[in-house]
Amino acid sequence: MARPHTVRGILCLVTAWLALTSASTASDSGFVIIVHPNNPVRSVDADFLRDAFFKKTTHWRHGPAIRPIDLAGNVGVHDQFARNILKKTPAQLRAYWVQRIFSGTEIPPPSADSPANVIAYVIANPGTLGYLPSGVSPGAAKVVSIK
Amino acid sequence: MRLRFLTLGWLCLLASSVSAQPEAQLPPDKQALTEPPPPAADVLGSSILSKIRIHGFVSEGAFKSTANEYIGKSSRGSFKLLETGLNISVEPIDGLRVALQLVARSVGSLSEDVPRLDWAVIDYRWQRWLGTRAGLIKMPVGLYNEFADIDSARNAILLPQSLYPVRNRDALIAHMGFGVYGNLPLGAVGELDYNAWFGTLTIPRSALELSDNARLDSVDTRYVTGARLFWLAPLEGLRVGFTYLRAVIDFYISLDAATTSQVVMAQLAPADYDGKLKVSQKPASFWIASAEYIHGDWLFAAEYSHWLKYQVASITELVPTLDENAERFYAMVNYRLSPQFELGTYYAVVHADAGDRTGRDKKQFPKRFQAFQRDLSLTLRVDINEYWLCKLEGHFIDGVADLQMTINPDPKRYWGLFLLKTTVTF
Repeated sequence: MARPHTVRGILCLVTAWLALTSASTASDSGFVIIVHPNNPVRSVDADFLRDAFFKKTTHWRHGPAIRPIDLAGNVGVHDQFARNILKKTPAQLRAYWVQRIFSGTEIPPPSADSPANVIAYVIANPGTLGYLPSGVSPGAAKVVSIK
Repeated sequence: MRLRFLTLGWLCLLASSVSAQPEAQLPPDKQALTEPPPPAADVLGSSILSKIRIHGFVSEGAFKSTANEYIGKSSRGSFKLLETGLNISVEPIDGLRVALQLVARSVGSLSEDVPRLDWAVIDYRWQRWLGTRAGLIKMPVGLYNEFADIDSARNAILLPQSLYPVRNRDALIAHMGFGVYGNLPLGAVGELDYNAWFGTLTIPRSALELSDNARLDSVDTRYVTGARLFWLAPLEGLRVGFTYLRAVIDFYISLDAATTSQVVMAQLAPADYDGKLKVSQKPASFWIASAEYIHGDWLFAAEYSHWLKYQVASITELVPTLDENAERFYAMVNYRLSPQFELGTYYAVVHADAGDRTGRDKKQFPKRFQAFQRDLSLTLRVDINEYWLCKLEGHFIDGVADLQMTINPDPKRYWGLFLLKTTVTF
């Protein structure tokens, strides 16, 4: 039978390992969330964002379909969004979508190669949801806060 | 051979061109600030054509075993590890998706010269908690069955063969029929992911081991049905689940004239016996308990299952009735060392008879090591860029329970299998 202090030691080690590996994924967000200008939503929570970009949540509470758009053209912001909101490393996110594409179960959101294209898509399509690097003017798109 | 060189040439060209794409498409953020947004139609287009997505993959590799023949003449080494796929998806309206995938592969003795339809599906997601699919649908079995054929979606070249045997891949990868699926948030206790399906299977002729004096005429899958449930725990990255599958399959076989005469002479069949034989698996079923935990750069996975088969033939004196209960399980760990390198290992075990794990029954297992197969694997995956990867893998195996005995008349207990593979995905 394991001694109590041995069990405590193992638990401490596991906790320390979890804390250390989690710390590497935590950072300032570096991006803002934008939606179509007519969208009444003022804020969204991280779980909602995650579910919307993984296409689990398909509709806004006020009815329209959610149309997320990715910003693959900005590797730094894309990776930050993946780690902080989607809770996946870039490699895990790639594997996640490869699995779904080739198993026929889902396809990833469309992807823009520049913030200007994200803004244009969001303005043109009701129900859209995108992200921009902090400091980039959203133009006519509406910025919403993350709860 | 010419086809192989052409494929390799295409693979290299594809790898070099796709790896050049990201840099070409990266305008600086500041540039975006000064430019007015382009018209929406120029961004992603608005026509149905612009909603079409095309993806594909090309894999080529080689494998060699130190003893025993694994999916073909592996002991002499083989370059027959070619897999290609092309898929097209379109979302004509919100929630509706139509998609199909063509594949061609040459994997050891499991070779197909002509591309065939891997899956083709119409999928409508009505709500988060309910979607439906119809067509030729990949079967959601265990953690990884849906992408058992997608090299870039995993670390190992060969997924644990105890649960995802290459030989069963064509039979178990997809079914023709319909399915329902959904995701249910449970608040503080996580989420439920669920699938259920009903249909028929397309069983390849290689699924049944036959001797030279018999020929498989046809296979009739009367039905296949199953369900999978995953609990996505509140602990980020942890999912635990259970799968059940049940099928009833009839195999129609013809014996050659000499064997038919011998059967009649031995009075195993009446004098007017025409050499036809029906072997029914009713049912063939399995259940799998699964757990996966992804934390940072680590992935831990384990699955445990029992595969049950009750097989009866129209002439039981010729093909004895079988009542099998095989035990299959594995544990796997992957660790990503850097964006380029990932290491993986697993230990996978097959017990052909869960009630006789060490092969005590000489009638069933002439050599004791035919009762089990224990496979320790080690894989190095190298991601050269986002689209192109290479893998190197070794297997250290004790036992032969999962080998084809028709091509291994004198199996060796301890053997190794070494594979290398390169894949381009776009």
